[in-house]
Amino acid sequence: MARVLVLPALRRPVNGTLVAWGALTFLGALLLPWAREGRELFVYLPETTGAALLARTPLLAVSMGLALAAAVIGLLPWPDAVRGRAAVAVGAAGAMLSTGYLLTAARPFSAGALVSILGFLAVLGVGMALSGLLRTDAFIAASILWVALFVLVFILFPLWSVLKAAVYVKGHLTLAVVAQTVRSPNFLLIDNPATPRNELAVALAAGLAAAVLAAAVLGRVGRWWRRLLLAGGSGLGVFALAALYLGFGAVRNSILLAVVVGVIATALGFLLALLGERSQLWTRRLLGPFSILPIITPPFVLGLAMIYLFGRRGFITYQVLGISTNIFFGPLGVAVAQILAFTPIAYLVLQGVVQAMDVALEEAAETLGASRWHVLRTVIWPLARPGVANAFLLVAIESLADFGNPIIIGGGVPYLATEVFFAIIGRYNPNEAAVYGVVLLMMTLTIFLLQRYWIGRRSYVTITGRPSASRPRPLPRPLDYAVTGAFVLWVALIVALYGSVFVGSMTKLWGFDYTFTLEHFKILLPGGTGWRVFWTSTWLSAVAALPATVLGFLIGYLVTRMDFPGRGALEFGSMLSFAVPGTVMGIGYILAFNQGALLLTGTGMIIVLAFIFRNMPVAIRSGVAAIHQIDRSLEEASTMLRATSPTTLRRIVVPLTWSALLSGLVFAFVRGMTAISQIIFLITPRYSLATAQILSYVEYGSQGRGAVLASVLTLFMIVVIMALYAITRRLGARMAREVAAT
Amino acid sequence: MRKVFGLLLALLLASLGAASAAPAGKVTVLCSPNPAWCDAVREEFPKATGITVDFVRLSSGEALARLRAEAQNPSFDVWFGGTGDPHIVANETGLTEFYKPKAWDDLRPEFREAVAGKYIPLYAGILGWALNERLLKEKGLPVPRTWRDLADPRYRGLIAYPNPNTSGTGYTMLATMVQIYGEREAFELLKRIHRNVAEYTRSGAAPGQLAGRGEVAIGITFIHDAVDQVLKGFPITYNAAADGTGYEIGGLSLVKATRNRANAIAFIDWALTPDAQKLAAERGQSYQIPSNTKTPIPRVAPRFQDFKVIKYDFLKYGSQAVRDGLVKKWTTEVFPLPK
Repeated sequence: MARVLVLPALRRPVNGTLVAWGALTFLGALLLPWAREGRELFVYLPETTGAALLARTPLLAVSMGLALAAAVIGLLPWPDAVRGRAAVAVGAAGAMLSTGYLLTAARPFSAGALVSILGFLAVLGVGMALSGLLRTDAFIAASILWVALFVLVFILFPLWSVLKAAVYVKGHLTLAVVAQTVRSPNFLLIDNPATPRNELAVALAAGLAAAVLAAAVLGRVGRWWRRLLLAGGSGLGVFALAALYLGFGAVRNSILLAVVVGVIATALGFLLALLGERSQLWTRRLLGPFSILPIITPPFVLGLAMIYLFGRRGFITYQVLGISTNIFFGPLGVAVAQILAFTPIAYLVLQGVVQAMDVALEEAAETLGASRWHVLRTVIWPLARPGVANAFLLVAIESLADFGNPIIIGGGVPYLATEVFFAIIGRYNPNEAAVYGVVLLMMTLTIFLLQRYWIGRRSYVTITGRPSASRPRPLPRPLDYAVTGAFVLWVALIVALYGSVFVGSMTKLWGFDYTFTLEHFKILLPGGTGWRVFWTSTWLSAVAALPATVLGFLIGYLVTRMDFPGRGALEFGSMLSFAVPGTVMGIGYILAFNQGALLLTGTGMIIVLAFIFRNMPVAIRSGVAAIHQIDRSLEEASTMLRATSPTTLRRIVVPLTWSALLSGLVFAFVRGMTAISQIIFLITPRYSLATAQILSYVEYGSQGRGAVLASVLTLFMIVVIMALYAITRRLGARMAREVAAT
Repeated sequence: MRKVFGLLLALLLASLGAASAAPAGKVTVLCSPNPAWCDAVREEFPKATGITVDFVRLSSGEALARLRAEAQNPSFDVWFGGTGDPHIVANETGLTEFYKPKAWDDLRPEFREAVAGKYIPLYAGILGWALNERLLKEKGLPVPRTWRDLADPRYRGLIAYPNPNTSGTGYTMLATMVQIYGEREAFELLKRIHRNVAEYTRSGAAPGQLAGRGEVAIGITFIHDAVDQVLKGFPITYNAAADGTGYEIGGLSLVKATRNRANAIAFIDWALTPDAQKLAAERGQSYQIPSNTKTPIPRVAPRFQDFKVIKYDFLKYGSQAVRDGLVKKWTTEVFPLPK
């Protein structure tokens, strides 16, 4: 990683930045309250300002002295290296003392503490830049420290709290809760005492049979240890699958669901990607809008629609086909809903893979006389394999983490994500919830690491920089028709499902009385519940979208353009929330922010924070992608002309990545509006959100009202996304002109 | 561009400011009955007193969990409605306290005695079944009469039952069966009923709705919830087990550690007035027997004399040890069994 060129700063008698931060920190600590009462965030308690506490708390007095010292260091005509080192010492000591006071006082923090800690970190950053500890300027150094603090407090600390709660019960380190939970039949039960057969024995027999069979098939091919490994491996694999299939409990249900959904969604996604890139039929144009639809709606809306269409009184099962079944209430229904919701994710991953394939390879194969089928089998498929694995793992994570569908149509069967919820909401046993959470986290984290460090490195890139003149090879005709047929079915199903939600919102009693009514829409009148939750959702998501985008872009910029110790850790820490299921982060937030200095539960702020740190990774990704497109020499030129890095960011990077920034902003907003799994733990009377309200309407049987909210939410998201496309196209052109003119 | 950012910043600050503005006189309520009743209360209480209401609708098991979670730092002042057993647990574990309301002498004496000053009785409701007879007829099945009938394998996939972990209704059924058959036999029966259960729901009212929509034929629920379904036009009937059924005395409790005691007490006193209790049937879609003798009993409310109601031991089955023990036993011995 090359460094941004940093020129030695001119020696100035006074360092204004340092003086300003020192003074700000001092004044903030002196005049602003350090604590607040209960859950009101913005209250002014004069008795907790630094001025009032000064005499009684030496810790605070010293830290305020340090803030003054920082300002004085800025004023002294010292050489930069000396001044920098002094600032580092003062900043580090001050930050530690302020944090120490905050934690020992154990009263909910307020503005004074915030300004003071962030101020000292800024002083520390300025010092590191001046002294040359970090080869960068003050702005970047301070940004790194702030971002690191946020990641530490709002991502790593909640996760740590979950881990701690699993083994630290009532002041003792114990494995009792872990053992109790793991032994509970709700968790995993392979040999069920209530059934006549011994499931474990059956699974063992199946595994053994598979091993013997594999050994027989392999015969004497290859070396003996490879044969042993293959036979043993297949035996173990079959045993594990058989045990899971025959077993019970949350672990079994979640894993089986993830495997099934992962395989099917990936296969469908691959077909759709081929269709999008290679089909000659006009229907492929439908792919864009239909692949984005499930992403911009809460995933469980499809679960709700499944009840409408395929329940015992479902429109298709009962009204059309006359079947009376509730087979879709349970794992099968959850699987179908998840496949519909997550196939677009697989499609988006595989689209890139199919696009990136070099057509020249295929042409070469064909010139050598291979048939199109043969090419598909021996060229396209091997090239796509890593991408396919990637898509499978991403879908598996989503499936494991999904909370809405299992709770709506799971039929009360346990899943890991819902057990976390029931342990805390139903039984209030945070330790048990933490154990379930840790197990779920370990699974998703393993998949995440596999995906990132194993598959991620093995992708075959066939783009060489030389433009390939030929157009993508069309699919063989029969295959094209078959794939298009499957796609049309998929589209029809999606249309029917969403359509049923829209119609359901205007139907008196779905499944029984199909009279048209607008009665359910009453909840949207001003003052009604629907109106309130929709408004709360909208503005909390809007408030969170800007910080999420700015923070994400800043992190993206830091990790792509800067080199500093801990860069990898920062990137990993901030991308972690991709792999952490929402329910796990949810109990993390409850456990971490329910008492002491960091009390935040019950406020709107904690929902905003949850949104920010959950949606930030999306902004990081799009930020990194956009910044990679900019030639580094532009920034270097700016730096050579003595522009500071804020100026470079503002004048070069932001204008050039403007449309990525805007779409990051909109997607952060959309994800906030459709989030459910994490915020279900955080909502309060004043801050109840639309998604949670839909869930509660559906659960308490007001399907019509749930459908109204779901339809309005879906329509609103569609409008927002269309507006984004309209704006970015125009803005993109304008910004490009502006940059070119300056 | 600077203007855009300035504008965004201003908007951000303004919205944060709006978020922090809280009304002065307010009371925060954990509301466990039908959401429609909660909504009616939220609209009417301010009109009577000028104090605004915020509420969260949580089933009574969940409400108890929430109170436990926030024991150090409660965000609720009053717990309104929901089955009595968790109210007793909350009282015994010091989460709530008994407050003797102004209307105490007007409350039905049999309710007051049954709960022995652990909480304030708000209403009473009888446990029963919502039956979709049309679906039963389609399947050629008779209408069940006793709890034992529910264990008949012919009802496979046709029963919905609230999960006792989250729902007070679910626990009331569990405790009722234990009181009728004794613990061992009750659990044997529950294990056999389990095979017939299509879905365990989170809330106590949901099984009635599933029966109404025809997802299941038998929804175990409080009869007043089934009455609501009937009035909404769902094709169901209701009944209770002929070999005895339990009932609930819905509770009203003052949260002990509240910082908002005066408003909480104002709310409790108001909630027991006939005017407030009338809201349940008039606007709340709830047809229980109100606890205040001066409140007219809704015409459609199920009455005690029409069913074989057991002498439910609220104090025993509401105690934390018994309740947690039964729920845990059910969760580990019945719930995970294959269907």
